Amino acid sequence: MAKIFWLFTMAWRDSRKNRPRLMLFISSIVFGIAALVAIYSFGYDLRRSIDDQAATLVGADLAISTNKPVGQNAMPFLDSLGATRSRELSFVSMVLFPKSNGTRLVQVRALQGGFPYYGDLETTPVAAGRSFLGGRNALVDNTLMLQFNAAVGDSVKLGQVTFKIAGILNKAPGQTGVASSVAPVVFIPLQYMEQTGLAKKGSRIEYSFYYKYAAGTDVTKMVDKLKPRLEKEDFNYETVDSRKENTGRFFNDLTRFLALVGFIALLLGCVGVASAINVYVREKISSIAIMRCLGATALDAFVIYLIQIVGIGFIGSVLGAELGSFIQNVLPVVLKDFLPLTINTVISWPAIGQGVLIGVVISFLFALLPLISIRKISPLFTFRLSFESVNFAADPLRWLVYSLIVFFIITFAYLQLGSILGSLFFTVGIFVAFLVLTLVAKLLMYTMRIVVRTTWGYLVRQAFANLYRPNNQTIILIVSIGLSTMFICTLFIVKDILTEQLVVSGSSTQSNMVLFDIQTQQQDAVAQLTRQQGLPVMQQVPIIGARIEEINGKTAEQAKKDTLPQRPGERGRRGFGGELRLTYRDSLVSSEKVTEGKWVGLVDPASTAPIPISIEDHYANNLGVKLGDHITFNVQGTNMATVVTSIRSVEWNRVQTNFRVIFPKGVLEQAPQFHVLLTRVPSTAASVKFQQAVVRQFPNISIIDLGLVLSVLDSLLDKISYVINFMSAFSIVTGIIVLIASVRISKYQRIQESVLLRTLGATRRQIGTINALEYFFLGLLSALTGVLIAIAVSWLLATYSFKLPFVVHLAAPGILLGSITSLTVVIGLLNSRGILNRPPLEVLRRDV
Amino acid sequence: MVPKILVVFFLGVLFAACGGNKKQEAATDGNGSAKPTDTAVDFHKKNILFFGNSLTAGYGLDDVSQAFPSVVQNKIDSLKLPYKVINAGNSGETSSGGNGRIDWLLKQPVDVFVLELGANDGLRGIPIKETVKNLQAIVDKVKAKYPACKLVMLGMQVPPNMGADYANGFKGVFPQLAAKNNMALVPFLLDGVGGNPALNQADGIHPTAEGAKIVADNVWKVLKTTLDGR
Repeated sequence: MAKIFWLFTMAWRDSRKNRPRLMLFISSIVFGIAALVAIYSFGYDLRRSIDDQAATLVGADLAISTNKPVGQNAMPFLDSLGATRSRELSFVSMVLFPKSNGTRLVQVRALQGGFPYYGDLETTPVAAGRSFLGGRNALVDNTLMLQFNAAVGDSVKLGQVTFKIAGILNKAPGQTGVASSVAPVVFIPLQYMEQTGLAKKGSRIEYSFYYKYAAGTDVTKMVDKLKPRLEKEDFNYETVDSRKENTGRFFNDLTRFLALVGFIALLLGCVGVASAINVYVREKISSIAIMRCLGATALDAFVIYLIQIVGIGFIGSVLGAELGSFIQNVLPVVLKDFLPLTINTVISWPAIGQGVLIGVVISFLFALLPLISIRKISPLFTFRLSFESVNFAADPLRWLVYSLIVFFIITFAYLQLGSILGSLFFTVGIFVAFLVLTLVAKLLMYTMRIVVRTTWGYLVRQAFANLYRPNNQTIILIVSIGLSTMFICTLFIVKDILTEQLVVSGSSTQSNMVLFDIQTQQQDAVAQLTRQQGLPVMQQVPIIGARIEEINGKTAEQAKKDTLPQRPGERGRRGFGGELRLTYRDSLVSSEKVTEGKWVGLVDPASTAPIPISIEDHYANNLGVKLGDHITFNVQGTNMATVVTSIRSVEWNRVQTNFRVIFPKGVLEQAPQFHVLLTRVPSTAASVKFQQAVVRQFPNISIIDLGLVLSVLDSLLDKISYVINFMSAFSIVTGIIVLIASVRISKYQRIQESVLLRTLGATRRQIGTINALEYFFLGLLSALTGVLIAIAVSWLLATYSFKLPFVVHLAAPGILLGSITSLTVVIGLLNSRGILNRPPLEVLRRDV
Repeated sequence: MVPKILVVFFLGVLFAACGGNKKQEAATDGNGSAKPTDTAVDFHKKNILFFGNSLTAGYGLDDVSQAFPSVVQNKIDSLKLPYKVINAGNSGETSSGGNGRIDWLLKQPVDVFVLELGANDGLRGIPIKETVKNLQAIVDKVKAKYPACKLVMLGMQVPPNMGADYANGFKGVFPQLAAKNNMALVPFLLDGVGGNPALNQADGIHPTAEGAKIVADNVWKVLKTTLDGR
């Protein structure tokens, strides 16, 4: 017992010797752990905010819908699914505005209950969104109000009932679906449904049921259990999670990105802690030798310093966790005005716990590494100050520690990524990066040893010699600067790739209005009208209906016989009999790329040769056709012989028309066709004005206004892109701080030499130049290596994890390279400033 | 999400099987045997042109041979009548689209013209007078080219949820035009099928193969009176 007490006392006593120096080490740990805790906590906060946003896409935890009237036995089942529920009937109908005597097709949503449970029916006046259910009221889409010049308080007639317009509908949760885009929406209370006379036999009505559950309910799991029953009843169902999946890759990308950031935070924490501990223990070696001289056993020395370092690690981690939580709580308040979404900061105990645990464990593991060699330090070291002869290699215990470190990183990576394979990949990646950096460092030392000539000036020689002479800091600095640079640069590149994807998918560059059923003789006039209104004609394409008659001389019936029995994996001739929409044009559009063959855009109408056509790759695969195959199309009763001359890949995820089959210009101009025109309207007012003009002149044309739907999506994408930008900026800043801290701990490495040089008569300038050159080389080389590794890593991430095209703008890595190099030099100079600015004697007399 | 919106929208009569975004649906829905609508002129037989939308085209059915015009052809064949059905259905077509397309189809001789258009106008809430105008224009073109051609009008109704005013107005279009142009009239094409979930596909508007047989019966009752040789 007394022995243990003595060990602790010794650990304490030893730490008293130089508190400022100790503080420096602790600060590096603090920054590492603060970065980790802040990034984790922010990650949790932002995730939650985005999840809340996603919930407004559905408006409820669970939505069940069917287009058939609900039977007697299904109703109790639906009622049993939850106490907090709403019902809705939605259908299209003709609305009448009695004041202007105008009618038009609308989407009616007859609602009962508290839906939406997430988000609000955003209306003008605001209160109408909830209060309209109390009477014979309606909420009317803004487009309709403008079109019929109606005001709140006017009336609308649906079926046999006249409703008072209680409010203008601006935005509604769960309205991202199809229905809202076909026609503008009118909300009415469900209790008047009967009176309207619109729900009769033969009516086409969608019946929806919305449920809200207590926070924390695992709705997905619950629905999995209900699935057989739901499917038996032919019910469609949607949860927030399923909507997120269907909304596109964005939520997944975000999850992956946050996992990546979390992992990087973990490693930043490791770099911060490990580099501090590593240098600290090395410095302690002489003290340990003295203790051994005075009779301490190797084990005593080992335990004393282990206690001390774990203690330091613990204090640093707790302080770091506090700092991290502080940043997490203060930053949103500071940035409140710039944030596009409200972040509710919740103190994240898992983040704090992980931070402290990681800090202590890392301190322990990285202290073990040099400390096991303490066992071999003999008292004689005190007198021979030759540190380098402490041979670190060939100790089996070291390998045990190495494997512990690897195991630790995999475990924590698993906590972050939630996938064993993923964490293995990441760990291997880090290991490779570590190896590469170490090799580069060794290579640098080796090269310098050979290259440096005595004929060079003293300053340059000394600076370069510092890189490989005993007591050099090459490996440790190159590894820590290199790794930090790599993390920062990877974040930069991945962030760019992701946000670029978001911009492409965002609608700011895409069309938001589709006009279709434009007849051939109308197309020029419609395009002209569009331009007159100051709107762009983004696409105008002819669409022709056709069927495939024969492929390589075989009809579908024959082809079917041929391919039966089909061997597994054999390409079948599916999609033969159905109708097909195709177009003709002379060039490719931006969403298409020819992957095989050659594009032919124009043919001579008089030619009797088969018409060269282009087929989309998936469709070609379904049909089992290859380049050079002959297909006969039945175009509205006329058979046309074609030959496949090109196969295209098509990006379907844009608001534009894409086609599986494209004919060249010159043959289909006379075939029956209609045209689709895509444009982009900047505002609701412009949309209404344009729609009115089109309907007045061309009553047959149908218009889909995607503005409202896309604006919901856009605001979501904005937020996701904001989160990605914010998290990467935040992680980059913390990464730089960790980097500064880890370079800063090399402060004492060069002090003794600098003081000696100073006493020998070196000027401030000379010492400054030596230090600057050394740090310049270290900074440049490690940053360069880090950037190159980062580019490789980002390519791997983009290709295999995010599955996105890899793009790198060299400006960011270039700037990073420059700034990290200069940062290293500046910190290196700052490190020696204390000595340079004071007379040598003063420095010598102080305990350095 | 963007594609999802369009994907779903482009389904249905409005824009059935559109190449726009509905990538695989239509590509995979038919693997059956297509009975080619051979349009080579056959001098021994007279042509019945079924001019319509997805209901004629047999949207969503495994094969066009299950669509009601093909069922009618079977009836004709079993009676050994010298008539050949041409299926000129085009999913999603409105009356105005039909008016633009009719000339192309009138290049071949037509002895009986069956007009099945307007349903998509009704579902899109297109003004009734617009539908009347287009249908009349189609009939005029047929009459001008083949004055001896027999004409059959297939009547449609819109579901009651469209509102009584519109629904009644729409329903009246077909008898009016039939009377005015001296056409045989099937009062309601989907009689006995519309509104019955068992006879319709999941979308609730397109008949199943079973439903198409009833539709064919509805048509046959009227069509047979216009055919010669029985």
